[in-house]
This record gives sequence, structure tokens and C-alpha cells, in this order.
Amino acid sequence: MKIIVDAMGGDNAPQAPVRGALDAIAEYGVEVVLVGRGEEILEALHKEGVNEVPQGLEITHADQVVEMCDNPATAFKEKKDSSLTVGLNLLKDGTGDAFVSAGSTGALLSAATLMTKRIKGIRRAALAPVVPTGNGGAVLIDCGATAECTPEFLLQFAFMGSYYAERVLGRPEPKVGLLNIGAEPSKGTDLQREAYGLLQKASDEGRINFVGNVEAREAVSGSVDVIVSDGYSGNIFLKTMEGVGIYMAREIKKMFLSSLKTKIAALLVKDGLREFKKKMDSGEVGGTPLMGISHPVIKAHGSSDGYAMKNAIRQAMEYSKSGIIEDITENVEYMRLPVKGLAKKQETDGTAE
Amino acid sequence: MFEKLCALIAEQFGVDADAITKDTAFVDELGADSVDLVDLSMALEEEFGMEEMEEEEISSIVTVGDLYKYMQEHLDL
Repeated sequence: MKIIVDAMGGDNAPQAPVRGALDAIAEYGVEVVLVGRGEEILEALHKEGVNEVPQGLEITHADQVVEMCDNPATAFKEKKDSSLTVGLNLLKDGTGDAFVSAGSTGALLSAATLMTKRIKGIRRAALAPVVPTGNGGAVLIDCGATAECTPEFLLQFAFMGSYYAERVLGRPEPKVGLLNIGAEPSKGTDLQREAYGLLQKASDEGRINFVGNVEAREAVSGSVDVIVSDGYSGNIFLKTMEGVGIYMAREIKKMFLSSLKTKIAALLVKDGLREFKKKMDSGEVGGTPLMGISHPVIKAHGSSDGYAMKNAIRQAMEYSKSGIIEDITENVEYMRLPVKGLAKKQETDGTAE
Repeated sequence: MFEKLCALIAEQFGVDADAITKDTAFVDELGADSVDLVDLSMALEEEFGMEEMEEEEISSIVTVGDLYKYMQEHLDL
């Protein structure tokens, strides 16, 4: 398996992608193509004590870098020789099995949507991170790729999240919940109420296991395997979780350091605390797949270090092997609403001209 | 060229090419949104070698007939 990595994307590029690539090659036996400014990549390799390009690693030169200040919608067109555009072209051409980038989310989303293309019939790509929950993690789909959604988008997110939970998290018949402000079907805005009906229908047909609306606190407790949301609400949900996590960690640390007695207590629970920290660490997961894109694309966190990049490469391998894209492609007809206008016209007009 | 255009639109929107006429409206009948239209314009660049369409040009196209007319005006046929 060959993973294409954007060597210039992210706060710690190119060092973190280079470190991550070296570790992934050693640990998983994967091949990696680093795309970016050749000289800078070689310099980063030297810093890691590597003086020759090791076996399993290739470098593809790309002169330009997509910056955070670039227009995310057009960056891939305006910077045709960027690591993002060159990397996605390699993916499209079949040079590699998946693409990983820690660069601008918006630019990656636009480029993946318009260059690599969506799976036919999929209306929008979605970002689907695995968030820490009481049941060992749940897929949150979408967490910000599409702020404004239609009920059809949410139906598609539910299917895609369900495949991901089943194939990657290993949950048989994953429980799908619709993020809402209450459990009753009447709760929420028109979007949630209409989406509820579509999800229930898909569940009745045995295509997904929809368990109804889920409030944020229940979702975190672990009542579902997939949390379906529009990107706007999903992003608030995700960022709230991160914020609460940071706050809790700070308060616990303060509490443990407040006296000799609590310091001793901290020593006694040290291993448990380390385990808990690991569970909450986004770097452990690596990245977030862009679901609905016709080839595997993984968005790594912008602040990824080498360890997080290695895990993002592992995630790209898992996603690529999972068969999720095939699942979506084969079942897309069940995720689409009929094009009402055209159907109506055909009924009244008969055949086309 | 119209048949080729219809085939491309049918592929993009997952509808029967025979059901597409010059009066077919992208938004109202094919359920297209802004992303679909940008995607279609890029497919036209690849398929017909058309120059990149400006955002305003894309948004001014309502029906398949509008697009066909635009192509006739902008392609060396």
C-alpha cells in the first residue's frame, strides 16, 4: 500500500509529515510518497538523522504551498504546483491508495470535492472524526465540512457514518443517532424533523440502525456509535468536547498539585490518568476521513506532530482497506431523494424531445 | 454536441439522458446546487476543453439550453 502525504501542510510541516512517514514505514511496512519542496523535505530528513531517502519513501517535488490566507475554494486551481494539488492528482492518477494532509481544511475539502470528485450521487463530503465517548468512541458526521445541510445530506451522512463505524470501529449494526435537542421526533428545526423521517424509513428498510434523536450529553455517554449532525452543530459539539476536556484536565491537575496528600494520590492513579489522557488525545486517532469522496482522503489535525501524522497514515491505510467507498458506491441509490422536478416533468410531458 | 452534453449532465446528476431537454432546469429539475454547478463546469473544461467559467457566468445559467448556448458562444465549433 502506498500513501501520499502532503509534506507542506500543517503547523509543523515539513518536519512532522517527514517524521510521521519514517515511523509509518518502519512500523506498518507501508510505502509513502512525500509531496512538497524537495530541498525542505531532504533537510527535514537530515534533521531526523536520515541522510539518504530510505526504502519505502519517495519524494515528489511540488514548488508551491497552500497557505492559510489563500482562498480555500480556489487555492487548488490558483496553485497548480502546490503539494495539495500535486498530491491529489497523484491520488486521482492511481499513484497512491490514499492522501493525507494536515493543511487547510477548506482548501483540502474544495480540492478533494472538485478534483478527486465525490462518489456519484453523494451531495456533500463530510468530515467524520471518531470522538471519545463512553462506549469507546463514536463517529461524528459531519463536524464542519458542510455548515448548512438538507435532510438528504443528513441521510447520506447517516449511511456513511454507519459504514465507517462498522468497517473501521468494528461495531456490528452500529447505532445511529441524530444530534438534537431532545429525544422526541418532533424536536429540533425543520431540518432535524425531516431528516428524522428519512432516517426512520432507512431503518425500517433495514439499511441502517437508527435509534432516534440523541442529545449531546447522551451521545458523549456512549448511547450511539454514529452521531449524525449538520456541520455547524457538529463543529460546536466537537469544539465543546475539546474545551471541556482541556478545562477538566487543567482542573484535575490543579487539584492533584494542591497538597502533599493529593500529590501522593496522583502518584497512585498515574497509570489511569495516562490512559485517560491517551483516550482524549486527538493525535492518537490521527485524522478525519473526508467521507463521500471517491478516493480515500484523510485530514490530519493542523497541529499534528510526527506521532499524529504516523497515526493519520495508519488511518489512511485502514480507511483504504475498509471497503467503505465501495459500500457507499453500491448503496448510494438508497441515500438519494428522487429529483422531484424531473420526475414530475416526465410524468406530464411523456418522453423528452 | 448536445447529445454529448446531455450524456455528461446525466452522468453528473444520475438521471436518464433521454429525459434531459433544453428546458430542463438545473436547480429546479435536476436538484443541482452551487457545488454541483462548479463541478459540472470543471467537467466541461475537461470534456470539451472549455475555458474556466467565472462564478457569475455559472450562476447565470438556469437551464440546459442556457448552458448549450453558452458553449456554442465560447467554443470553436
